Amino acid sequence: MAVNIKINGKAIQAEDGKTILQVAKEHNVRIPTLCYHKDLNPTGNCRMCVVDVNGWRISPAACVTPVWEGMEIETDSEKVMKDRKLTLELMLANHPQDCLTCDVAGECELQDLAYEYKAEVPAWGAKGTRYKVDSDPNPFIRVDMNKCILCRRCESACAEIQVRDVWGVAKRGFDEVMVAGAGVPMLEARCESCGQCVAYCPTGALSNKMSYGMARAHQVKKVTTTCSYCGVGCQFDLLVKDNKVIGVHSNSEAPVNGMALCVKGRYGYDFIHHPDRLVRPKVRRYLLEGGGKPVSSDQLSVISDRLSVSSDQLSVTSDQLSVTSGPWDWVEVEWEKALDIVADKFADTRSEFGADTTGFLASAKCLNEENYLINKLARQVMGTNNIDHCARL
Amino acid sequence: MTNKHIIHKPISPEILEFANNHEGSREAALEVLKDIQAHHSALTTDSVTDAARALKLPPHQLYGMATFYSMLSFEERKKVLRVCDGPVCWLKRGSEQLSVDSGQLSVERTSCLGLCDRAPAILVDDEQAGPIEANEAGKVCEGWRGAPMDYSKARKGEVRVMTALIGKIDPDSIDDALANGVYGGLKSALQQEPIAVLSEVEASGLQGRGGAGFPVGRKGRFVANEKRTPRYIICNADESEPLIFKDRVLMDTNPHQLLEGMTIAGYACGASEAWIYIRGEYEYQARRLENAIEGAKSKNLLGENILGSGFSFDIHVHRGAGAYICGEETALIESLEGKRGEPRLRPPYPPTYGFRGQPTAVNNVESFCAVPHILKNGAEWWKSLSGYKTPGTKMYMVLGHVKKPGLFEAPFGLTLRQIVKEFGGGMLKGSKFKFALCGGAAGTITDESLLDVPIDFSSGQKGVSLGAGAFLICDQNVSPVAMLRELLHFFAVESCGKCTPCRVGTWRSLEILDRMTAGKGQKGDVEELKILADLMQVSSFCGLGQSVGIPMKSALAYFGAEFEKAES
Ligand SMILES: Cc1cc2nc3c(=O)[nH]c(=O)nc-3n(C[C@H](O)[C@H](O)[C@H](O)COP(=O)(O)O)c2cc1C
Ligand code: SF4
Ligand code: SF4
Ligand code: SF4
Ligand code: SF4
Ligand code: FES
Ligand code: FES
Repeated sequence: MAVNIKINGKAIQAEDGKTILQVAKEHNVRIPTLCYHKDLNPTGNCRMCVVDVNGWRISPAACVTPVWEGMEIETDSEKVMKDRKLTLELMLANHPQDCLTCDVAGECELQDLAYEYKAEVPAWGAKGTRYKVDSDPNPFIRVDMNKCILCRRCESACAEIQVRDVWGVAKRGFDEVMVAGAGVPMLEARCESCGQCVAYCPTGALSNKMSYGMARAHQVKKVTTTCSYCGVGCQFDLLVKDNKVIGVHSNSEAPVNGMALCVKGRYGYDFIHHPDRLVRPKVRRYLLEGGGKPVSSDQLSVISDRLSVSSDQLSVTSDQLSVTSGPWDWVEVEWEKALDIVADKFADTRSEFGADTTGFLASAKCLNEENYLINKLARQVMGTNNIDHCARL
Repeated sequence: MTNKHIIHKPISPEILEFANNHEGSREAALEVLKDIQAHHSALTTDSVTDAARALKLPPHQLYGMATFYSMLSFEERKKVLRVCDGPVCWLKRGSEQLSVDSGQLSVERTSCLGLCDRAPAILVDDEQAGPIEANEAGKVCEGWRGAPMDYSKARKGEVRVMTALIGKIDPDSIDDALANGVYGGLKSALQQEPIAVLSEVEASGLQGRGGAGFPVGRKGRFVANEKRTPRYIICNADESEPLIFKDRVLMDTNPHQLLEGMTIAGYACGASEAWIYIRGEYEYQARRLENAIEGAKSKNLLGENILGSGFSFDIHVHRGAGAYICGEETALIESLEGKRGEPRLRPPYPPTYGFRGQPTAVNNVESFCAVPHILKNGAEWWKSLSGYKTPGTKMYMVLGHVKKPGLFEAPFGLTLRQIVKEFGGGMLKGSKFKFALCGGAAGTITDESLLDVPIDFSSGQKGVSLGAGAFLICDQNVSPVAMLRELLHFFAVESCGKCTPCRVGTWRSLEILDRMTAGKGQKGDVEELKILADLMQVSSFCGLGQSVGIPMKSALAYFGAEFEKAES
């Protein structure tokens, strides 16, 4: 069914049941929002999206008010512009003027609207003195409730997307504040550090701890990529500054996951530039030098434990155990070489002990297709059914 | 993945038992929290978390409730003495504070207790007491509680319908009620088709007595027209707005009248079950209602197959825990469902999407109390009670500097002058009328220029609100600035905090009024109050924030000069 309405004087046929905000958007009329997010159930509590409706005593919130037959809506009347500005000022009165050092400056929805509406920060108010800054020990999420505008997007994101129900509202009136669980640290309230709440927070109240202070929005290049951790294939943006990955942001266009990511995808990026990261194959020195498999220091200590003797009582020469130049050293080689060694070892093992003494463990980081190929390799090339997948562990 | 921060601890067996006593129902969250508090004198993070686990709810929800309702506390308390901070008590008590030996009692300030006719009023745990002067605290410890006002005698000019049996029956006796004709309306209703009952109420023109004046019959029809069942009836007995105490008197003096009205409503709407949501401070009245329900059941006036009609109906009493916003019908429903009392998005409205998402009629105590009389005597009779265009009678409360403060029943169309002179006995000796707060805390403040405006649900536009029917009369010594400060204190304390304009606007307005009343006003304060009042009125999420601007703007309009004087 359709209803006839007017938005800013323009006659529009709108679908019954849609909100003013939805219809306006379809007709390229922009209405500012803060607590609204298209992925979340609307709550209508920030009152930024108020519009004028002819004949109405109050200004309804566009994000939660359905269109009705005959409605005449003004989205930018002097009155609502003034009211939005004032509502912003009420938020800013109790908001620290921290944009200089705030992690999200430049991509903060509150900052953008304050600028757009030329809001003047009132002289009164709490100005960021009410709560402890960086108040939560969560290793990934930085919490500064002074910056919170109580839009409750974090609560909805955690409840509706992650289904962990960590965040909620406590107290009432001016004292109202977001809390995790019964007022406990996030991790004690079943938080799994997915960072969904951070991604949906329109302000710097929830921000990313690991990248705090590392780059402004305009200083990073966003590189859209697919997560390397598992086969779901979530997409996100790597934040790159000076050729270094300093963080991960959700990319709302991501086809499989939208804004959602898990803790590994969002926060497990420090391996990228880690000094211990393997970037080329390495093999044990003895494999290159030929000859048998020497006893390793680990094995020695196990043996010595079992015999209850100290390891130097066993007759091993010190260079056999040496870490720097012994047969157990890791040596960087070409892929070609490394794969040859693996293939030889597989072939040797199969011919000496039979195919079923080999096995294949596939990785969740691989795609279905790749896992299928591993299965082919195991069954048809090697001839064994010993095959498993790490996602089962 | 294991999380080292979650240490598995079994739920406390005691809390499990509390939860099991309510069949583990999530709707009983508030009861479980109250049980814990009653046994341990305070809530703790652990007990709240355990309660959440026992009810399979997220801990934040229970913590959100525990910190929302003012009667729940994380502080160890002894016997709790709640001292009313409301405007009527303030007017009576002045700035003098009740001095209490805190060795025996934990003293708390609280919003209006609904005992405005006993101002200055207090609550000792759940015992209502007053009036009490500042130097009389000693007698409270000795057990003194005072007595409720006696309304058994009608004032001159009263037309008594709902109050007709005050003092004539023992409210705790079903036999007394029956002997005096209570439940006659129900009997007559049960002999008609439900639709005919609805039509009768519609024809009577009865408007909701909670303040908004929505036609009671029409709301009933919305519910009856919904195809889905079960449908529910809810009686709004939250009565937490300063100045208002009529519902308490109605429940106290004739609880069966309310049960009868609700049962008729249930029959008319095709509802099966009902709740009376009564504010936690009315424990005494809640017990009286529970007793009345038992009495009615014993006579088959409630329960299965009422009086052989085939209609079955049950009424439950649900106690709130201290929150004015729970009087707003959707917040009430949220609270009844075991959540924070925050208003819901509307539409959908309760008749289509109410309690448990089912069709629900929410009506005020007084609205239900009028219904049996309409069924018994007919819509025409109801209309004939009033010489004014608004039919029927209404409960009024007159308070403040009049000789005979209290409650009375009369038709519509009264003027402030009549209310003060004829019903209130005139101004106190030495007192001259300066202004009235009309309707309730969320009503208009008017000066003497409006003394002759006939009052009904539409007179608010002319400057005299009817609201729930209360009028606080103030003499020459009361500063409208100070009165407005008291009101804003109330709204700031009671704002639920959901939306920005009300959450911050009430707080900021109070800050300004605080300094104006302390002689530290600043240039621009009046202008800022006006701007805030406008914003709250048009931009707030619910009726609470939307009505804060009413007393603010009217006070500024009529007493602008006094406000301006307070600027410097
Ligand atoms: C902040 C607020 C508080 C309210 N408190 C009450 C109340 O205590 N009692 C009541 O009956 N209605 C109260 N109402 C009105 C109810 O929302 C609702 O309109 C009423 O219960 C409907 O009953 P009626 O139609 O019989 O009046 C309140 C409304 C608001 C906005
Ligand atoms: S949250 Fe936004 S407005 Fe607040 S300090 Fe940070 S950037 Fe500035
Ligand atoms: S990080 Fe994820 S699980 Fe933790 S609170 Fe935020 S949304 Fe919820
Ligand atoms: S923390 Fe962020 S998302 Fe949550 S309510 Fe505050 S501003 Fe909104
Ligand atoms: S107006 Fe807003 S903050 Fe105030 S009580 Fe209603 S929803 Fe809560
Ligand atoms: S965006 Fe509509 S109320 Fe917040
Ligand atoms: S009981 Fe104190 S103001 Fe109502």
